[in-house]
Amino acid sequence: MDFRDGAHNLYHIIVASLHIGKLRYLAVVIESEEAHQTSKVIKLLQWLDSVGVKNVCLYDMNGVLKKSKDTIFQIMKNAKSIEEVNEDVTHHAPDHMTLEFVSYVDGKEAVAKAANLIFVENFKRHDIGGELDHQILLESHLNQALQIVGCKGPEPDLLLVYGPVRSHLGFPPWRIRYTEIVHMGSLNFMRYGSLIKAIYNFTKVRHNYGT
Amino acid sequence: MFSLRLPIPLEKTLITSLPKTSTTYSAYSGMTRFQVCHRYLSNSITKRGTSVVAFQDEVDGEIFVDAFQDEADGEIFVDEDFLEVDPLPVELQPELMPKHVAVIMDGNGRWAKMKGLPTSAGHVAGTQSFKWIVKLCYSWGIKVLTVFAFSMDNWIRPKVETEFLLNLFERSILSQVEECKRKGIQISVIGDTSKLPKSLKSMIANAEETTKENPKFQLILAVSYSGKYDVVQACKSVAKKVQDGLLHLEEINENIIEKELETNCTEFPYPDLLIRTSGELRVSNFLLWQLAYTEFFFNKKLWPDFGKDEFVEALSSFQNRQRRYGGRH
Repeated sequence: MDFRDGAHNLYHIIVASLHIGKLRYLAVVIESEEAHQTSKVIKLLQWLDSVGVKNVCLYDMNGVLKKSKDTIFQIMKNAKSIEEVNEDVTHHAPDHMTLEFVSYVDGKEAVAKAANLIFVENFKRHDIGGELDHQILLESHLNQALQIVGCKGPEPDLLLVYGPVRSHLGFPPWRIRYTEIVHMGSLNFMRYGSLIKAIYNFTKVRHNYGT
Repeated sequence: MFSLRLPIPLEKTLITSLPKTSTTYSAYSGMTRFQVCHRYLSNSITKRGTSVVAFQDEVDGEIFVDAFQDEADGEIFVDEDFLEVDPLPVELQPELMPKHVAVIMDGNGRWAKMKGLPTSAGHVAGTQSFKWIVKLCYSWGIKVLTVFAFSMDNWIRPKVETEFLLNLFERSILSQVEECKRKGIQISVIGDTSKLPKSLKSMIANAEETTKENPKFQLILAVSYSGKYDVVQACKSVAKKVQDGLLHLEEINENIIEKELETNCTEFPYPDLLIRTSGELRVSNFLLWQLAYTEFFFNKKLWPDFGKDEFVEALSSFQNRQRRYGGRH
């Protein structure tokens, strides 16, 4: 047995002990230059699938990953797009992966669209005799409006950043209140062991959420 | 230095059998009569190799944790001059300093628990780290420092703790307003102030008004703040402008919303660097909109233990990345 066999067995043990159920939704942010490496992105998704991570949101600022969508689905035959999944994506049966593709326009621009939608509805109501109340806008209204404009994905539990900079590069701000953010380094040097470690560390953490 | 008062059981203090050092007559905030104060001297928390001495007062049988003073070389001195300039370390380059640093000051409670102290002691110790980082930012040419002093999510904590925190915050700022004015430090507060005590609201208004002229440095305190609240209130402001005919619906885009965020109180609303202590790897609803291109630095030290060395490490890391990859995308 050589070193690689030993490492492989160790990873196998760690993966088997993961409380993967704690990781309901994973986001992967990739720096747009590196996102062109579709084969590496697919390899990363295959690793995630193998350890039981079934719900993944892929983000890059410029929408490179969105353009690679078809290629990715051709290779990842057991994956479905989030638009195809009717039920709550974090509760579906783990027989397939769900992939969501997101870019910068789904972040701040989407919030602006959602706010616009609320304003339009409000003014329409006013025009037909209803009350005009700009204070009516609450967080819950924005949540609903974001769903309507197409931003259906939930808040990720964990966000992995592949790229040179430790930043989430404009991932939709409305979705990362309590998301754990881990910088993984360049996609060029991605390692299975680092991925397992990041997921393992996440599943060990106790979350306080303000208390 | 400030004073704070919170009754804590004698067994939770570090009072030893040292003799009384003084008997004075003092008036305390919130009390309407003079009371006899027996002051005991005790060694308290050791921070970064420096003994920090806590004066603990017994008033009518209750013990109150009093102001911390730093003790060096056997002499007790009061750090009234905390804003004196600290020289830039040689490993940092002035031209690569971030313009805006944001900090999530996490870990006071855990720090206190580790030392067997009440949570209040952790918050008090945390204010020392806060003062340090203000001084260092001011000294090293950083233009804006935003600190997450109290989150909207923190309202779920026990009332005793939230009242203590807000009182601590009020007294800390109150004691430093004039000094800030003299040094050209502008104090700004962001967050939903509607839930804050009247005295604190009034103090905030006074501090902002007093320090608004000719700032060399801006200190933004996020109190009762959440990133989602900030976006929602920005959208409400936009809606009001549409209602008042100042904007058309078609004009609304992300830039219009950005201008209404509470961080529009500064010339540099987007942090270049976010530091979070205590090992947590989340932004916890802080400046959600503003952090798109911010570089994160997560440090395992608990906030009361975060000092100059750790701050230099964060800035070095930021500067190294700036040298290799340039500025914002």
